Amino acid sequence: MINPRITRRTPVIMQGVTGRAGRSHFQLMRAYGTNIVAGVSPRAAGAQIDGVPLFGTCAQAVAATGAKVSILFVGADQLLAAIDEAVGAGIEMLVTPTEGMPVHDALQAKRLTLARGVTWIGASTPGMAVPGEAKLGFLPDSTLAPGQLGIMSKSGTLSYEAGYRLVQHGIGQSVWIGVGGDPVKGVRFADLVPFFGADAQTEAVLIIGEIGGTEEEEFAHALRAHAFAKPAFALIAGRSAPEGVSMGHAGALVHGVHGTYAAKKAALEAAGATVFGSLGEMTGGIVAALRR
Amino acid sequence: MYLLEHDAKTLLAAWGIAVPAGCLVESVDALDEAALPPGPWVVKAQVPAGGRGKAGLVRAAEARADLRSLVAAMLGQAHRGHTVRSCRIESRRDSAHEAYVGFMLAPESGEVRILVAASGGMDVEASAAVRSKLAAPQSQALAAAVGELAASAPPRVREAITQAGAQLGEVFLRRDAVLVEVNPLFVSADGGWLAGDAKMVLDDNALGRQQEVSTLLAARSHAYAETWLKTQHGCDYVVVDADGELGLLTTGAGLSMMLIDELRAAGIRPYNFLDVRTGGLRGDASRLVAVLNWIAEGRKVRCVLVNVFAGITHLGEFARLLLQALGQAPVLKVPVITRLVGNGLDEARALLGEAGIVVEPDLDKALALVRAALSKQHDTTQVRQR
Repeated sequence: MINPRITRRTPVIMQGVTGRAGRSHFQLMRAYGTNIVAGVSPRAAGAQIDGVPLFGTCAQAVAATGAKVSILFVGADQLLAAIDEAVGAGIEMLVTPTEGMPVHDALQAKRLTLARGVTWIGASTPGMAVPGEAKLGFLPDSTLAPGQLGIMSKSGTLSYEAGYRLVQHGIGQSVWIGVGGDPVKGVRFADLVPFFGADAQTEAVLIIGEIGGTEEEEFAHALRAHAFAKPAFALIAGRSAPEGVSMGHAGALVHGVHGTYAAKKAALEAAGATVFGSLGEMTGGIVAALRR
Repeated sequence: MYLLEHDAKTLLAAWGIAVPAGCLVESVDALDEAALPPGPWVVKAQVPAGGRGKAGLVRAAEARADLRSLVAAMLGQAHRGHTVRSCRIESRRDSAHEAYVGFMLAPESGEVRILVAASGGMDVEASAAVRSKLAAPQSQALAAAVGELAASAPPRVREAITQAGAQLGEVFLRRDAVLVEVNPLFVSADGGWLAGDAKMVLDDNALGRQQEVSTLLAARSHAYAETWLKTQHGCDYVVVDADGELGLLTTGAGLSMMLIDELRAAGIRPYNFLDVRTGGLRGDASRLVAVLNWIAEGRKVRCVLVNVFAGITHLGEFARLLLQALGQAPVLKVPVITRLVGNGLDEARALLGEAGIVVEPDLDKALALVRAALSKQHDTTQVRQR
């Protein structure tokens, strides 16, 4: 079973630590509490950043630190190779915020990680966090607070907005996972149902979905298959989008009857989930259900 | 990008896949100059959406005069949120067997889903005649799967599906496709076959390694405005309602989509979708200037809402860029309401406040301000008309 519950002690390596974005998020993640024990940089091997050693390869970083988790700030054209390297080095969970990964590369990365039982979060994700412990990626600190709601989201910004509003009403998160908006990705909503079902800190889950694909329908199916006994909430963006045009996220493309808002809403409601029509409705509904 | 049928067929033909002879016209007058294929014809409106047949956007033509009237009738029609801007005129096949072959992503397993129907028709996708199978994203695996799915078809049809399927599978892999579908695949009495229709969705993220597709995009940029803008400006922009009254300068795909949903539910007509990607501005206002100028093209736009939830971006820096951009895009003369929340809000509020621009951190309150701005203008318009 996938277990994304990292702590402030979990050792993490970072691939792509020397780039512009990598450098800045390295500092932000450490400031939040993430235990980054090594960086990987073929060009800067042997050097250090803020006291953290850099290695030339993933395998060396893993051998030196025993880390099983990697966060990758690597360009889209190099991402497949970097994932391959991480999997080969024995990494068991990897988070890839990179936007713009070619979908056929994602197919290969999916096969690689599935074959080795590796948990891949991404691509095109703002990352994940266990609030109060650690974060991998760039979920804004202002939206994070320890609490009882498990969040899974295809969209970064919409989840920030939702998380922020709920935190203002006293609802924090147990674990927050951005699955990302790409059509082919690592972890999907449905894959996380067993974890959230068993996780003691999670009292309810919220999925933030979008039109396109079938992930929301798969999630609905998984709720039933795993007899998920906690409240499940959903917010789905894009109900007024035209067919055949993707709005920002490559995955959010409706063609024909596939991926429509109506199909997703019906599947979720049939599985006992509550689908909210707006951010305001969502905040009110979740606060009423969870606040004591 | 969801290719128009004409462009999909051009790509397939370049790959050596047989398609009916055809040409593209973007106006009635262009018919006089067009290199028409042999008649009789079928006239097919070019829009990136299905259901054209039932909407009367695929019609038979016997004489040249029919071509004129059909093209004239189709151009400008709206279909599922798209306007018909061109028509493909093709030689018509009246008596051929129709089959179906499709390839799509299977995101759960990292495989490809192959769909085959030995006999087709307009609704084949919803019918029980379709057989499907998953295969690894490799040429031989795809070809083998097509062969298995066609095994029970009559020999002539089986042979055609197997041949066409192997080539289409290759296109799916080599052109970084998200979807390739041929419906119908015409199979003639002598076993020859032709792709009667072609639906292809290609991966925008792979344009960098698809020279042929990039060339097509550059040559036909007006037909793929969204993808073109993204490659040129690094942001996602879509006009969602040509008569929209509210321009949106927003960041984040999911939040911008949700905002459009909520605005429409509240009776406000947004003009555009935008994910400007504030993280990619890097101190340069030119992308914001471009966006403001595009929004200014909306003939009914009477207000602009800026919505930025700044997780990482510093709002003070964003406010400076926004002011700079507003100064450089003088065409846009409508009230601007900003909803900003996150890092550097106080600085942004001070900067924008000096310029007389309202900053409201609460989204619902910002929408109330938008509604007030729009209705106030309604009143003034009415007064002026009197």
